[in-house]
Amino acid sequence: MSSESVIDAPATEIRASRRRFRRWGILRSTTATVGLAIILIWVVLAVLAPVISPYPPNEQDYLAMADPTPSWGHWLGTDNLGRDILSRLLWGARTVLTVAPLSVTVAMIVGITMGLLAGYCGPIVDAVISRISDIVLSFPIIVLYVILIANLGPSILNIIVATTVASAPGIGRIVRGLVLELRTQEYVAAAKLRGESALYIMLVELLPNCRGPLIVDAALRIGYTTITIGLLGFIGLGLPPPNPDWGGMAKDATAMISVWPHMAMFPCLAIVSLVLGFNLLADGLKDLADR
Amino acid sequence: MTTVIFPSASNAPMAGGEALIEIRNLRVEYGAGDHRIVAIPDLSLTIRRGESYGLVGESGCGKTTAAMAIMGYLGRNGFATRGSIQFEGEDLLLATPARLARIRGKRIAMVYQEPSASLNPTMTIGRQLAEVPELHDGLSRAAATQRVLDVLADVRMPDPEQVVRRFPHQLSGGQQQRVVIAMALLAHPALLLLDEPTTGLDVTVEAAVLDLIGLLREKYETSLLYISHNLGLIATTCDRVGIMYSGEMVEEAPVIDLFRKPTHPYTRGLLDCIPDLASDKRTRTLSSIPGQFPLPHERPSGCVFGPRCGDFVPGRCDQHPVPLEPATQSHLVRCLRWSEIEPKPAVRVSTYVEPEAMAPILDIDRLSKSYELGGMSWSRNSVSTVKANEDLSFSVRQGEILAVVGESGCGKSTFAKVLTGLETATSGGIFFANQDIARRAVHQRSQEVKRAIQMIFQNPDSTLNPSHAVDFSIRRSITKSGVRKGAAAIAGRVAELFDLVRLPRQFQKRRPDQLSGGQKQRIAIARAFASEPRLIIADEPVSALDVSVQAAVITLLLDLQARDKTTMIFISHDLALVRHVADRVVVMYLGRVMEQGRVEEIFSPPYHPYTEALLSAIPIPDPTKGRGRRVRLTGDIPSPVNPPAGCRFTGRCPRKLGEICDSVPPPEHKVSSTHTIACHLPLDQLVEVTSVIAAE
Repeated sequence: MSSESVIDAPATEIRASRRRFRRWGILRSTTATVGLAIILIWVVLAVLAPVISPYPPNEQDYLAMADPTPSWGHWLGTDNLGRDILSRLLWGARTVLTVAPLSVTVAMIVGITMGLLAGYCGPIVDAVISRISDIVLSFPIIVLYVILIANLGPSILNIIVATTVASAPGIGRIVRGLVLELRTQEYVAAAKLRGESALYIMLVELLPNCRGPLIVDAALRIGYTTITIGLLGFIGLGLPPPNPDWGGMAKDATAMISVWPHMAMFPCLAIVSLVLGFNLLADGLKDLADR
Repeated sequence: MTTVIFPSASNAPMAGGEALIEIRNLRVEYGAGDHRIVAIPDLSLTIRRGESYGLVGESGCGKTTAAMAIMGYLGRNGFATRGSIQFEGEDLLLATPARLARIRGKRIAMVYQEPSASLNPTMTIGRQLAEVPELHDGLSRAAATQRVLDVLADVRMPDPEQVVRRFPHQLSGGQQQRVVIAMALLAHPALLLLDEPTTGLDVTVEAAVLDLIGLLREKYETSLLYISHNLGLIATTCDRVGIMYSGEMVEEAPVIDLFRKPTHPYTRGLLDCIPDLASDKRTRTLSSIPGQFPLPHERPSGCVFGPRCGDFVPGRCDQHPVPLEPATQSHLVRCLRWSEIEPKPAVRVSTYVEPEAMAPILDIDRLSKSYELGGMSWSRNSVSTVKANEDLSFSVRQGEILAVVGESGCGKSTFAKVLTGLETATSGGIFFANQDIARRAVHQRSQEVKRAIQMIFQNPDSTLNPSHAVDFSIRRSITKSGVRKGAAAIAGRVAELFDLVRLPRQFQKRRPDQLSGGQKQRIAIARAFASEPRLIIADEPVSALDVSVQAAVITLLLDLQARDKTTMIFISHDLALVRHVADRVVVMYLGRVMEQGRVEEIFSPPYHPYTEALLSAIPIPDPTKGRGRRVRLTGDIPSPVNPPAGCRFTGRCPRKLGEICDSVPPPEHKVSSTHTIACHLPLDQLVEVTSVIAAE
């Protein structure tokens, strides 16, 4: 045996720098950076809402009711009950930014479990889980929400349950597809040969390799869920009043939209900007992963 | 960049024949701005009319880039920034895209490595082939079709009338490659570029395709640029050879000179890495080239091969770019010291210690594994059975290396899966440690059996989990098997294993994507040895590696195996490698054992007719020896679905006796106590066969 050395520091260092998803790698994509900035602005505003919001969200300013349009006293105007729209948007951001990530997290846990089981545990488990998913996915999503929330009653918990039921099958399909491909990798066979359990292989060998597509999907889904929450508020299935809720604010303003369009416009802009932030982030992450 | 014009291949005197294509001082760069990578700094080469030129090098040396530059296919981020490519009186680098497109189809054609990617899956073979003469020669549809049928007959395609109506997926890999070659020849090109045209094919099919290329070259008077990493193929197909290393031509010579008097240290190194049929692990240790290929942006100053060269002189070799000098009139070499370096005879000393005869530890008894296809269909009749393994019987003794040899579809990988418990057998027995484990999947096996049987996989890119550091699975294997207890003892064992596979201990926390293919395969070997197994199954462990790395990994594997007296089952399609590695060999074809015996018995007569063809197909990296007796198989390996009732090899056997071969399973002839051949031919006829390997 020749006393060879297989070290070549420079070559491997360069390869190391090509790795995707480095800690601050996200900043290499302008799209993702802009998206992340929009989201962070909303997060900061929501966290600081008790400090920076000029009025309590439900306080009525009867003097402003005569002319609710934007003014020095109320930068974004007030609604028809004299409540400051800016303050309500800031407090409403707290709701959206808690409920949307929370429901996506729950949906992810359920969906990943379904996907791992369907992809790894053989054709029978796969058939059962996939058929259940097909049934859920064949419902129009709006109908599904209406049925669920109308029966369970509007509350944060029930919104989470409803979005989980609607999203988990989609997440499950993504994970199942990835697992079906990853399970044929040689490192999975190596894990079996050293006697690892199925649970261990699913969680330690397979799941970490699904993270790229799942991170992108999560960002997209938080955006969708923001829309869903707004939508539920708009059709009257959101959080019960007087909680500030962006969708609910838009709904309350519809009657006045021809006279005072700002009452509906600002909550809608808030929803649009936040969703845009998440979508840009998802797009950017996807680009980074494909690079 | 220095402006010195080095003597180039084009300045070398021509041994007759005018130049067809002349590449002069070509520089190819990829990327833009700060991220420019120089793939080829300065390349010159000339191919004459009717000549076959071989371009050899390991992956990443720029040989494919050179071909792509000729074709004008460098892509959006590739640029030929300097030099010229003169072809039939015009510079291809200056040609307009329309002019290039015209030249490409008509005067220059290319055959790529992956035939299935070169064919349009939505068109019939006939239609896509007929497009070529219709487009380039303006032939009518009928005339084009006739021309297609003629060329398909030329490429020895059986039954061309049927083939033109089929779609690409209905053909085998070998047939697809014939179609691609036919497509390239349809326009009667003056130059045919072949980029690793047989890499994906089985040995016997490869041999037939190579013969075909040789024949067609004469008939069509085409010049060839043959790109390959396999020196054996180049030796059998080319007139002149250029060796590339890190984007530079390091040596160029007529094929006989190159193999008889290799002058550049890299060429010598490459030739020493290749296992040959005349020696084995008892008589020779494969040498390897230390270190690694430099990436394009970290090319050393001076000689690019310097850091890996045994004859490197600091202060001399690393100063200025080394020119390509003529060693003889037609032999160019890029080395300052070529005239000083004495050719060292290849190391023929082996460190191998013969294991003493041991008791069998593994007994395979009439093992069969079949899969049912179409089981989900409603009709019972549509169920067909693939007999992946049938009636395998042999035993393996402690400490020996048993090679299982065969082409794709012979069932060697299925056998590995059944043995390790990733699949279970349909019938028969595997007796290991006094128990039958044939029907037990890995999770049903005892802890002791699991620990004792480990495997080394084929693909370095999929053998390690990209989400974990490379020591993760080694650590886990030690913990699970319980061969060491306690964090300190386990850490110590991991470090020890890294030392054993000659990787620096600092590599433990690296990610797989920070290691090269050879390094990943070393980790996989460390993982297999981690649980101190008694039996290791190595499934094509080096087939994905470059030659110089392959030799080092094989030597390492042999060292470890001999040191621990581990039994090994070595699965491979590479017979030269098997000759080097194995103690005993089992030759399989379509799920059945054709022949088994000690390695020297398999490689000398009497042969099974299939073994004979396999051995004859091995490309020998030495054109001076000439070929041994030539045995070529017709057709491709048939599908293992519903194989013939008699001998599995009957359809392609050049020595077929008659009807008996189709209907009656062949008897087993005992040639010696260790050597059996399953064939209907009487033993005395088999014994009369002469060797197919050219004598030394």
